[in-house]
Amino acid sequence: MVWRVADWFTLAAIFLLLTVAAALVRCWRGPGPVERIMAAQLAGTGVIGVAVVLGAARGDAAFLDAALIGTLLAAIAVTAFVRGTARPGDRSEDKE
Amino acid sequence: MTFAFDLILCLMILGTAGIALFVRDALAAIAFFIAFGNLMGLTWLGLDAVNVALAEIAIGAGVTGVLLILARARLLALGDDATCSGTPLWLRLGALAACAGFVVLLAASVLSIPPESGLDRVVAPLMPGLGIENRVTGVLLAFRAYDTLLESFVLLGALVAVWSLAPAGAWPGRPADPGMTDAPMRRVAGTFGQLLLPVALVMAAYLVWAGSDLPGGAFQAGTVLAGGLLVAAMGGTIGLPSSDRPLLRAALVLGPAVFLAIGLAGIAAGGLLVYPEGMAKALIVIIEYTLFLSIGVTLALLVAGPPVPDASHPNPEGKG
Repeated sequence: MVWRVADWFTLAAIFLLLTVAAALVRCWRGPGPVERIMAAQLAGTGVIGVAVVLGAARGDAAFLDAALIGTLLAAIAVTAFVRGTARPGDRSEDKE
Repeated sequence: MTFAFDLILCLMILGTAGIALFVRDALAAIAFFIAFGNLMGLTWLGLDAVNVALAEIAIGAGVTGVLLILARARLLALGDDATCSGTPLWLRLGALAACAGFVVLLAASVLSIPPESGLDRVVAPLMPGLGIENRVTGVLLAFRAYDTLLESFVLLGALVAVWSLAPAGAWPGRPADPGMTDAPMRRVAGTFGQLLLPVALVMAAYLVWAGSDLPGGAFQAGTVLAGGLLVAAMGGTIGLPSSDRPLLRAALVLGPAVFLAIGLAGIAAGGLLVYPEGMAKALIVIIEYTLFLSIGVTLALLVAGPPVPDASHPNPEGKG
């Protein structure tokens, strides 16, 4: 089988998808809310990576728009989380 | 190769959906709901349905995630433990039966669609008359425009419903201040909001413009705008307006009103929501830009919630 460029991109997408799965394991295990939300962010970053690589594999620039929207809106969820969770003077790590 | 990708993606979607449903911790459920939305977005990308992918990533994963996170914070502030409490067995079994029945019905109807019977064949020959390339936009704003018109009013109705939950004496007022309560975090979020809002505006304006010929459109763009507005509000860069501000009311009804006016003007050209020959693209772009503005403001206010009494938000830092 002759490997075209698109096949390599698809292989990269599979690899990125597996890293998303690893991030989701961390999200599931936790243990704290900070770990969960950071792992969800990591998974979101991975998904954006998959979208970019898939776009390269298909040669469709519109996939980049999906990645851009994901990038813009991912940051809002974590801002909302910090706003709802943190209390004044409570900015140290959970583990400390 | 593509098959392996699809298989892993399907397994991950089933896994995240299962965890989001069954995990006890509310935050974990929300985190997995967001991950589920992102993975569904990837699925739509894989199916070359980029319009749907944009909507799923923006609305399903983005703004709904923010809404759920804020709702959890509000429950925590009220003293609820925000974890799933026990429900009676009959209720759970009943819900299971209802959902299973619905899934079977849905699967049966999807499987009953013949593979070659897409709308594409019907729509494609009609597109040159509109002067735009994106067939989804063509369906949403020309061939099935009344659906979209009604949807834009439904969104407005949802905001009216949320506003009607305002406690007595709070009307007309501002929603609860979504800003950070801790001063250093407020500064960080403020800078971030100042950076993000212009980027979101540019991105949203681009999405509307691209929506004529490429994937994009008013709903996706409005969601991006709402996200930018929410971050700016959380950092105190912008204050949420009082619900009786005339400018705010104008922004809320602008999109649906312009859509309706252009639709009514179409009667002169042959019928409700008929665009005059050769003007379709210009009118569609006008409708999309006004609709995007209204959708963005409406979604941001839907997330912000109903007005609250002024006395109950003692925030000495005030509005940015």
